[in-house]
Amino acid sequence: MKKSPLALLLTLGLLNTPHSAFAATAPLELVGPISDYKIYVTEQLDELASHTQQFTDAVKKGDLATAKKLYAPTRVYYESIEPIAELFSDLDASIDSRVDDHEKGVKAEDFSGFHRIEYSLFSENSTQGLGELADGLNKDVKDLQTRVAGLTFPPEKVVGGAAALLEEVAATKISGEEDRYSHTDLYDFQGNIDGAKKIVDLFRPQIEKQDAAFIAKVDKNFAMVNKTLAKYKTRDGGFETYDKVKENDRKALVGPVNTLAEDLSTLRGKLGLN
Amino acid sequence: MESIPPLAFPACKQKKKPMNDSEQFNLQRRRVLMGMGAAGVALAGTALSCPAMAASPAQVTEAPSSDKTEDRHAFHGKHQTGIVTPRPACGMLVSFDVLASDREDLERLFRTLNERIAFLMKGGPVTQVDPKLPPVDSGILGPVVTPDNLTITVSVGESLFDERFGLADTKPKRLIRMVGFPNDALEADCCHGDLSVQFCSNTTDTNIHALRDIVKNLPDLLLVRWKQEGSVPPQAPAKPGVPAQSARNFLGFRDGSANPNSNDAKTMDSIVWVPPGSDEPAWAANGSYQAVRIIRNFVERWDRTPLQEQESILGRVKSTGAPMGGEHETQVPDYAKDPEGKLTKLDAHIRLANPRTAATQANLILRRPFNYSNGVNKNGQLDMGLLFICYQADLQKGFITVQTRLNGEPLEEYLKPVGGGYFFTLPGVIGDKDFIGRSLLDATQPALQPKATA
Repeated sequence: MKKSPLALLLTLGLLNTPHSAFAATAPLELVGPISDYKIYVTEQLDELASHTQQFTDAVKKGDLATAKKLYAPTRVYYESIEPIAELFSDLDASIDSRVDDHEKGVKAEDFSGFHRIEYSLFSENSTQGLGELADGLNKDVKDLQTRVAGLTFPPEKVVGGAAALLEEVAATKISGEEDRYSHTDLYDFQGNIDGAKKIVDLFRPQIEKQDAAFIAKVDKNFAMVNKTLAKYKTRDGGFETYDKVKENDRKALVGPVNTLAEDLSTLRGKLGLN
Repeated sequence: MESIPPLAFPACKQKKKPMNDSEQFNLQRRRVLMGMGAAGVALAGTALSCPAMAASPAQVTEAPSSDKTEDRHAFHGKHQTGIVTPRPACGMLVSFDVLASDREDLERLFRTLNERIAFLMKGGPVTQVDPKLPPVDSGILGPVVTPDNLTITVSVGESLFDERFGLADTKPKRLIRMVGFPNDALEADCCHGDLSVQFCSNTTDTNIHALRDIVKNLPDLLLVRWKQEGSVPPQAPAKPGVPAQSARNFLGFRDGSANPNSNDAKTMDSIVWVPPGSDEPAWAANGSYQAVRIIRNFVERWDRTPLQEQESILGRVKSTGAPMGGEHETQVPDYAKDPEGKLTKLDAHIRLANPRTAATQANLILRRPFNYSNGVNKNGQLDMGLLFICYQADLQKGFITVQTRLNGEPLEEYLKPVGGGYFFTLPGVIGDKDFIGRSLLDATQPALQPKATA
């Protein structure tokens, strides 16, 4: 006779709450890395603010060439700290929403921020009528700075941020959908990867204590991604446009990115965070 | 009147006061009056059989029931399952790019696939881990995976035999990258692939569970390239002494009427399986060629076509599936008696596909298609058609020859093949020491695989 699923579970003892596989990392051990991370985020935000100022100045002056040039190198600071920036969903929407987020597309009244300006600069080749959007972006970035300064960083958000950044890459960077007008996706790609690597590096001693093989595997995959990205670096320190990425290199990125996403999704648990 | 089991309402049992007997009676009475007794609801909700339904009244949220969730097929065997296995209600074909960078990785891919397929087809409890970690299983079938009639069939595409893994010398002789036929409008993002995995089971959810398991377990080695799901509408049970009728496709015609007998091992040996000792590489024996085609049907236009024209284009009577002038689906058309095509037009679909001459016996194939429906095209027309899958021992003599005969058929006005690919279905896994793809790997580097030999 077939056993009912419930009976089977009871037989196997699987209905008991599974034992915690990892000893929780002592909270004190997390204080150092978290405050270091806050310093990192603050620095990135300072860079974001000053670059955004230069970028929006160029937009308002009608200097199309400079505005186009500054677009990607400015955004990269936002991309590297996205898990923290996203904690403020109103600002994330006004700074970084993509055209797909709006039913009415580029014509949506609440479509603002980087990608709205990107549309005018790269798709319409124009800085016309962007004054208000430029001011708004500047104001939002400064607002973000203030809010982050007053924020107590939740450990699980910080550690979970590494996985969140990889999900960003897997969802929108691999497909080249992030910067669809400028095709500068590789800047954002690198920003996400650097931001994730930073988190892993800050918690490295604690992770190593739990699972040394894991760290080695994660490092290997970061290195593989960086190696492929490096192929597309330009002399000025920037990146080629995403349409230049060869199919075999795109595939070479997918494996390590998806594996990092899987592995880093266990990071919170490994450090005993809820 | 049985009371409603409280376990069915964990979310609301505290908030709502329980129904008293008379309320329950009225509810049940209403249901009976509406012709929606428990059995009626179950029949309406699912095509899966549900014999001996309990007398308890069904609730809106009650799941359709099935007594087939524990049905399973043996994974081990000379041939893979999912080929001569009777088609269940749901099918899904997923094509992957292989991300492995060397042979070692490729072997890890096959071994992991083997392990996952063996588990998924057998079912069983899912490993539980520390709840601080992501669960190892999606959980969509619950903590105990039910096989639900699942088969998973692995095939390899021509591109797997490129320079990456040193397999070029062992490529099956007839395996090529699919070349478009004149009526095709192939879309690059739903064609070809290094690997195809066919999932078939009683429910879409079981197939999706299996796919998600494989995707989660092989993040560094496999990348989904395209996927197409489809279904077969279940038929009423055959009356005693009457052969089962074929399911209908989205053109409304019975599809599969002239398929060879998949229960006849001899027939399958000659039509489907690559025999040992053939001109194919030795490792390929007991494998098969898989041709996959995503064939969009222009259904609005078809539905605006006179019945007699539909029937003459197909060569069958729409209501019964019988050949023209016949009464039953199983009747065999006698084209010798109809040389001018007065009864069945010379360019009718079934006549071109299978002219039933001695010479064209060599072109028989085993079809195993599913109907698909994907949404709406930009023009507002429904995006649906046939996920055509067929198996044959010789791709050239089989699908390619048959499709070439069909080039220019009148039915083309209503069809547009948009995707698919050719694959070679690997031989079966013959024991615990064997694994899927083992014979292929061994064939190229036997010295390095001594332990793997089953």
